[in-house]
Parts: sequence; structure tokens; C-alpha cells
Amino acid sequence: MTSLDRHISRRRLLSGAAALAGGGMLFGCAPGASRSTSNLDYWHLMTGGDGIVMAGLVDAVSAANLGFHATQTVLAWGPPYYTKLAMASAGGRAPDVAIMHASRIAGYAPGGLLEPWDLDLLAEVGLKESDFPPLVWQKGMYDGKLYSIALDTHPFVLYYNTEHATKAGVTDALQTMKSPEQFTEVATKMQEVTGKHGVSYGYLGDGSQMWRLFYTFYRQLGAEMKLVPGQKAQVDEDAAVKALSFVQSLLDDKIASRSGDGGTATSEFLHGESGLFFGGVWELPVLKDAKMPVDARPIPTLFGTDAAYADSHTFVLPRQSKASPERRKHVYQLVAEILKRSVKWAGAGHIPAYQPVVRSPEYQELKPQSNYAGIPAYVNYDPDVWFGGAGSDFHKYFAENVQNVYLGSGDPAAGFEGFVKRLNVLLDRPQPV
Amino acid sequence: MSTAIDATTTPAEVVAEGPGSGQDRARRGESLTGWAFAAPFAVLFVLFLVVPAIYGLYLSFTGETLTGSGGELLGFANYAEALTDPDMWKSLGNTLWFTVLSTVPLVLLSLAFALLVNLGLPGRWLWRLSFFLPYLLASTVVVMFWSWMYNPKLGLINGVLGEFGIAPVAWLQDPNVAMISVVVTTLWWTIGFNFLLYLAALQNIPEQQFEAAAIDGAGKWRQLFSIVIPQLAPTTALIVTLQILASLKVFDQIYMLTNGGPAGATRSIVQYIYESGFTGYRFGFSSAISYLFFAIIVLVSLAQYKLINRRNAA
Repeated sequence: MTSLDRHISRRRLLSGAAALAGGGMLFGCAPGASRSTSNLDYWHLMTGGDGIVMAGLVDAVSAANLGFHATQTVLAWGPPYYTKLAMASAGGRAPDVAIMHASRIAGYAPGGLLEPWDLDLLAEVGLKESDFPPLVWQKGMYDGKLYSIALDTHPFVLYYNTEHATKAGVTDALQTMKSPEQFTEVATKMQEVTGKHGVSYGYLGDGSQMWRLFYTFYRQLGAEMKLVPGQKAQVDEDAAVKALSFVQSLLDDKIASRSGDGGTATSEFLHGESGLFFGGVWELPVLKDAKMPVDARPIPTLFGTDAAYADSHTFVLPRQSKASPERRKHVYQLVAEILKRSVKWAGAGHIPAYQPVVRSPEYQELKPQSNYAGIPAYVNYDPDVWFGGAGSDFHKYFAENVQNVYLGSGDPAAGFEGFVKRLNVLLDRPQPV
Repeated sequence: MSTAIDATTTPAEVVAEGPGSGQDRARRGESLTGWAFAAPFAVLFVLFLVVPAIYGLYLSFTGETLTGSGGELLGFANYAEALTDPDMWKSLGNTLWFTVLSTVPLVLLSLAFALLVNLGLPGRWLWRLSFFLPYLLASTVVVMFWSWMYNPKLGLINGVLGEFGIAPVAWLQDPNVAMISVVVTTLWWTIGFNFLLYLAALQNIPEQQFEAAAIDGAGKWRQLFSIVIPQLAPTTALIVTLQILASLKVFDQIYMLTNGGPAGATRSIVQYIYESGFTGYRFGFSSAISYLFFAIIVLVSLAQYKLINRRNAA
């Protein structure tokens, strides 16, 4: 914005000129200029292990001689990706197809940044509603139209060290626990075995991590969160306080570290210094590579209602000012082909959204992935609102108000109240999309 | 952006100078050449600074968003909203607090370091290098170092403190210490530039003054207060000015170290402008805040200018 470039030095300006020259070249190969119908631009935000698997899938589809190939552009996860995608769509020079978190659709579809998928064309490439879990399919609907097609569901789950579980005598209890007290008991027994912590949970400085565990328990309490611009946030304060108090009770420096960040928590669990680990399914490759005795299950239903925080990577059609029907057809094919190969994607921990893959013996044999394959039936996405979703300010505002509750110094009711107050300010503002 | 200091000169000032009278044609030719040299800069200056600044001012009166909707004129609605927005005030407060916390040690310590190095201790080049070296690092590299050192569980700092039986501190996660941690990182990173300015100024003080003072019986401390510090006054004024401006626009190290957290305790105004515009999609609102901030910077600069001028006149 303006104040960013107000204090510009001459050197910086010159480098700006160099960037401009380079930018000119970039524009040359950007969508719009002399594009063939057979080369599709595909943007996504998968890096690391996920990125390698995705690149493999894209290459496999391109090599299948379907009359097109896809070029992937990988951008940094989170706000940088979404800002760039929104800008590209707003300018009508977007890629042919892009990955977007399902939780972000609410921020994109209303502003006309996305184009809906055509159900007839989808049927032509062999994709239909009944191939997807109902809740996952529904999440892509906005205003009666389908804006996204899910590749996966990636929930927040509970990992455990099977050796420690045996030693602690909690192998059965791990499968049967149904109340916060039972969970605390299992965690305490694990702590006695490891001598350090029972549970590893990295949340420090990471609002998304704080939100994932909170929202799982909040929804298990049967509570909902509805955010409608122009109205006050509709929340269940009692449930929120219960959920926060429970998390706080676990983070007592005995059951779990009071100040664990992502890296610390993972390394603690990897080194056997804890028996349980709250983490996303995307952590699985790291844990498997470590060759540790690990298994996973959904976060147990401790408060009565089955619920799990999750998000989905989905395919979307960013708005293009000139879309050729030929290219579009190829995009549909590309998506169908990736979905049909998504058992490879499941290798990275995610639950494929495409049910024929989930039902396949190849997937059912994947352990521990298939242990939590039932989650999509009761999955809970972030509340639909323009400022919400993966890597959004919503998660950040949650952290701002709740981190000190997790750290043990803040009062759960006050922390949640602060968060709701922040939500109300945002709901009261003009909606930019 | 960073608190690194950018020296800016306007080519127009250079061009505007010329002989006072006579040889009109030659002078015109000279000035044409001058303009030709300045043109590339001028074009970019207009294109990337003047035009965006004016456009930004216009945007601040509209409801413009990233999606291109809401471009209608709103009058002062964005300004009214910004002035009643507690987050705006909080991030502005953070920025001012950071400026105070960083400017004072960045001026005093750089002077102290320059004086120490100027004493002519053995291994002088090593001292000079170690004070200046961090300044050459990119902000990303600096943040990498420090975020590991600040790590509450695995970090070097808590490790060393633990040896002395001091309880671990959540350097970047505790709202009470996060800003101090950011300041310490900034200090380590950017002190080199001020240090270099001071060192150069110190070496420019004529040796005779010290000799004369010594003959008059002035000791080292008297020389420091009666010769060195007064002689450094113009440099100090320059450093303070540049430092305040640099600290006011702090962004990168905070964005990467804490992302403005915990609980917004380190969010600077520039980051709030960035968030409102680029992740909140509200360009109009974000422009309005940036113009309010601009007004503050202009006021600070004017106040300093007045202050320095009055001192020079006196």
C-alpha cells in the first residue's frame, strides 16, 4: 500500500525497475498471451511431502496422453497464496484451475472470484455427487451452485505410541474412552510411562493449531458457531468455556507441556517423550519416516457428539475473463484423473474425498489412514464467513484472545469473550467480497 | 519497512544547481543533460511513488476492495472507522512504543560501541566487523537465528538461563516480553549502521583539539563531554532522525518473528495496514490508515526539523 512505498530509496527504486523488466517477461508467459489449449495452468500451495505427491500425480496425468498437460505453480501456504489467487481472479487472469481450502470458499464465491462447476460436464468425466461424502460435497455449494470439488478431507486426529500404550495398559482404553475424565486418565498413565509428558500438542504462536483442538471439543459439546455479516456472532459460550477449560487442564506441564510449539511437540512425540499427539493427518509422513510404533484414530468423542475439525483441499475454477471451452474440458478431465489416482494422495495422510478410492482394497490396507476414514461422515468445517478459513485472520484472532488461556494465565470465559468481541467487530464491517 | 536506514537524495536538488549568470546556452545544454540523467529516476519516481500515493489518497475515500467491488466514494467514512478502531490505536501504540524502545539504545549503544572501537584497542578490525556484520544480513536470516534462540523449549537463551536455574521464558509468546525480544533482535541487527556513522564522525574530529585540550589539562572524560559529544552533534541529529523514521515503519522482523502476536502485542501499524488491505481485502480502509500514519510521520519530521534548526540557530 501507499505507506509501504512512500519511503523508497533510489536503490530500491532501481531494483523495482529491474523487477519491472523481469515482470514484463513474466507477463509474456502469463495466462492470456498465446496460450495453447493443451497446457493448463494449475496453482496450488502444497509443499514438502504433499508437494512431492501432488507433483507426481500431475506428471502421471500429463503422461497419460489425454491431449493436455498441466503446469503446476506452487506458492507459499496461507495468506500469500490466497491474496495472489484473489488478485489474479479479480484481474481475470487467473490459472485454469487451483487448489483452495474448502473453508475459504465462503470468502471467495460471493465476490465472483470463482466460477461454478458444471454438473453435466462433471458427469461426462465420470464425477457425480454420490461419489463424495455428503458433508464434503455440500461444503462446496454456495447459493445452489457447486464451487469446489474436494480432493480430500484432512482432519485433526489423535496419534499414539503403541509401545507406550501397551506399557501403560491403555491399549483398550484408547479405543473406548468417552469422557474428558477417561482421556485425562489415559494421558496420565502415558505420562507415568514416559516420565516426561503424556500428550504432545504444539500450539504456541499458531492460531490454527489452537483453533483445531478447541473447535473439535466445542462441536463435540453440540455447540455451533454461526457468523452472519451484519449480525452478532451466534456462539455457545458455556460450551466454549467447557472446551477451553478442558484444553487448559491438559496443558499443566505434566500431562502436556504448557508452552509447546509445533516443532517441539513433534520432536517430543517422535523421541518417545510422550505417548499421545494431537496433530493433523498431514503430520503422518514425518511420523512414519521416523519408523516409530505409531497408530492414529479420530479424536475420541469426549463430550457426547461425534465431531472433528477438518478442512479439505478442493479444486476451484478461478474467474477468467476469457475461458475457452476446450481448455475447460481439459480441466474437468485433469480433476477427474487426479481424483481417480488419489490413493497416492492418501499416502500423505489425507482421506480421499472420492469414495471409489476410499472403498478400494488398496486404500483400506493403508494403516493408520483407514482408521480415521470415517471422519468425513461427521466432519466440521470452519464457520462460513468471508474472513474465515485456513490460514486466515480468523485463526489469528482466535490466538490473540485464547493463547493466554492455553498458557494457563488467562480465564477461559474472558478469552472467549474477547474473541467474540473481535468477531463482532469484523461482522459489523462492510463485507469486501 | 525494516529499521535499516535508507539515505535518500533527490536528483532535482543536484540538477537545480548551476552557475549563477552568463553562458546561457552552455547552461541550458548542461541542464538538459542533467534532466536526461535524472529522467530514468524521475519516470520511475512518478510511476511508482507519486502516482500510487495520489491513487492511494483517492482510494482512502472509497470502499475499494481487492475484488474490485465497492469503488464508490464514501467521504470520510474510512477515516472515521479507522479513528474509532481499537486495533488501529493498539497497533499505532505498539509502533510508537517500539520506536521509543529501539531508538534510545540504537543511538546510545552505537555511540558507546563507536567510542570503544575508537579507543584503538587491539583487534580493532574484529570489533568493527562484529558490530557491523549483522547489518549486512537479510531480515529473513536474522529472524531465523533469533526465532531459534528464542524458542521456549529448545532455544539457546532459555538453555543458558536454565543452567543458572532461571525458569524458561516464552520470549515471543508472552505478551509482556515479546516486544522487548523484537527490540533486542532489531538492536543486534541494525546497530551497525549507526555505529559506522558515529565511527566515521569520530575519526573526523581534528586531532589538534585533543592536543590543545590535553595541554590545558583536560582529562579523557572532560574531552569526551567538551569535545567529542559536541562535535558529534550533527551526526547525532542525523542518526536520531533516520532512526525514528526507520523504527516507525518497522514491519519485516515483526511479521516474521511473531506475526504481530501474541494477542496483537507486537502488531505494528504497517502490519495492520498490510492485513487490512491484503488479507482483509479492504484497500480503501487500509489506505485511510496509511494516510493517517503518513500524517503522523510528517508531523514527527517537522517537529524534529524545527528542533534541530532551533538548536543550530542558538
